[in-house]
Amino acid sequence: MTNPLALAPAPRSDDAEKVRGEVREFLAAELAAGSFDTHVDTWLSGVDPAFSKKLGDRGWLGMTWPKEYGGHERSAMERYAVTEELLAAGAPVAAHWIADRQSGPNLLTYGTEKQRQEILPRIAAGECFFVIGMSEPDSGSDLASIRTKAVRNADGDWVVNGAKVWTSNAHHAHYGIVLVRTTPLDTSHRHRGMSQLLVDLSLPGITINPIRILDGGHHFNEVVFDDVVVPGDMLLGKEGDGWHQVTAELAFERSGPERFLSTYPLVAEFARRVADSGDSASVAVLGRISARLLALRQMSLRIAAALDRGELPNIPAALVKDVGTTFESDVIDEVRRVVDVSPSLDSPDPLGRALAEAQLHAPGYTLRGGTNEILRGIVARGLGLR
Amino acid sequence: MSDQDLVVETVRDILSGFEPFVLTAERRWDDGLWTALAEAGLTGVGLPEELGGSGGELADAVAIVRTLAAGAGAVPVAEQLLVAGPAVVAADLALPPVDEPLTFALGPAVTAHASDDGDGPGRFTLSGTVADVAWSGAAKHLVVLAAGVAGPVLALVDVSALEATAAANLAGEPRGSLVLDDVPATGALLTSARIEELKARYALARSVQLAAALEQVLAWTVQYAGERVQFGRPLGKFQAIQMELAEMAGEVTAVTALTDAAVQAVERDENVVLACAAAKVRAGAAVEVVARLAHQVHGAIGFTQEHKLHHLTRRLWSWRDEAGTELAWSRVLGAGVLADGPDGLWPALTRVV
Repeated sequence: MTNPLALAPAPRSDDAEKVRGEVREFLAAELAAGSFDTHVDTWLSGVDPAFSKKLGDRGWLGMTWPKEYGGHERSAMERYAVTEELLAAGAPVAAHWIADRQSGPNLLTYGTEKQRQEILPRIAAGECFFVIGMSEPDSGSDLASIRTKAVRNADGDWVVNGAKVWTSNAHHAHYGIVLVRTTPLDTSHRHRGMSQLLVDLSLPGITINPIRILDGGHHFNEVVFDDVVVPGDMLLGKEGDGWHQVTAELAFERSGPERFLSTYPLVAEFARRVADSGDSASVAVLGRISARLLALRQMSLRIAAALDRGELPNIPAALVKDVGTTFESDVIDEVRRVVDVSPSLDSPDPLGRALAEAQLHAPGYTLRGGTNEILRGIVARGLGLR
Repeated sequence: MSDQDLVVETVRDILSGFEPFVLTAERRWDDGLWTALAEAGLTGVGLPEELGGSGGELADAVAIVRTLAAGAGAVPVAEQLLVAGPAVVAADLALPPVDEPLTFALGPAVTAHASDDGDGPGRFTLSGTVADVAWSGAAKHLVVLAAGVAGPVLALVDVSALEATAAANLAGEPRGSLVLDDVPATGALLTSARIEELKARYALARSVQLAAALEQVLAWTVQYAGERVQFGRPLGKFQAIQMELAEMAGEVTAVTALTDAAVQAVERDENVVLACAAAKVRAGAAVEVVARLAHQVHGAIGFTQEHKLHHLTRRLWSWRDEAGTELAWSRVLGAGVLADGPDGLWPALTRVV
């Protein structure tokens, strides 16, 4: 009877509730001061380095990392509370999001002492931003087919050639963690021969070209590497271990509240409408949306608790992302079926704007960080089917 | 092995001697299974020993209900252990012997009149029809929420001599009506807050059953997909089938996580109504996906009474709208999370569980 994908319930965390209150107070003050406007999907589109710096000053970045690297040695449950409060408020968190969520933990696990000392404190301060360099024009879900390559030159440095795409906010970031082939593809061992490089995005030979998404926003980029010389000591982890390194910590990338709260500002706007109208069908829809969201919070919290226990529940994390991103999209149609509002980015009605933003960003929810088809394949493996 | 694991093992052992069967008008419940459970003391778990129960915690009772639901046990254990029994204890009424099935029903059309029969307060006579009585005909005692002159009354009534109508749910579980015609009962006045919590506990009992049955249906479907060979391969090797099973797993995991959280909310006695409402709505919403895909993967054999699948899918289709429909609980939850006003949704959501 037992579901092999289920995790133990998360314990209650008073520390998490305490920091939640502090974040809420901070956000209310920032909103009152007009320092940001609420938007949908702000962990992709809301770039505001000054806001990121404020979070860093308050100790809300690098929260779980060791103090010697600028971290705060707090629990994943506390970090969960901070991140979900920021997302629910639609705050501009995109600048630091990848560095705080993913690149920092990656460096902690695989980085050299020098890399950690130099970079982690700056991430935790909200001053250093990262991009993920995985997908390429011809390599999406099939990551092992990447062609960007790095070859050692006579000085022991890496010469990188190739191109990465969908690199969110590369035009604002300082570094990329770039997956490259350091050994040519061996078709019988496709996952071998890849490595991760820590690349300073200001190096000569790097061109960053914008790729606009459906609402015209510039978040994605193509990053082209033309004989870029990356210092030899900027290898991250072990040469040839790239595949293992990018797949080992997907629990961080796939389980967080950004996998079900991207469209929460739309839900909040809908709730304001329902509170005014009292419309019974809308109240029921809000109830259904709330029940789904509450279940996702419990799933995600269970993973945060597992991370605190030192586990890396990658398969349950894939499940959170599958169920969560499906929810993010479903919300749009749940709402629009019961409100008499047309979506438009220019709408005078905040609900019309939220619907428009959510809709135009929707195709991304179930693609980024591993498509839902890939995720379901991972879940199927967890069920023992492959 | 924890105490709870031991309890679950015992229930499984007993269940293994009682195969699920098609419930009919002639055989509406599994009295043999009930007797075996009662003899093992399992029909009193979570109820205080000094009142005739077997002791133990709510979590133990939940574990028993889960195990029986997954095994399609046709016995009123969820009603007795999670709803009616605790309600009787909380209201300081005398608990009937725990080996006699006790059930629960809402009785909006039942009136309770205090009766002055010389036995002091707490005596009522009940009149009116109670519809949708779970295990009507099988249960000896009924806890019913009736309307009294001075407010709602939780009444405990012996129904063993009453004739029930033959109505049943989609799985054949009895859901008949009882006509009460000046029937004597013990009872207690309840506050409206307590009434709402009791209704919520009834919904949670069904959610616990739904969660367990959904989990079991997933397990059966995964197993079947691994065994059934078509085109020279087990079904589970086909990507199309893997996508369906993964979708089912997502739903099941979501339901389990929220149901567990609602059980904890009841244990802590915090936000009981909204936590239970959320669990019931989420569990109900999963039924469409899980039952549909389970039948799709099982193919034609699952569409027959030859295969066991229907024992649980028919229950799932019923339970999601019992103890309050999905719509009714969606409204409760939707209104509840708006209680703090137009800007209060997020604080409310982070408080519920």
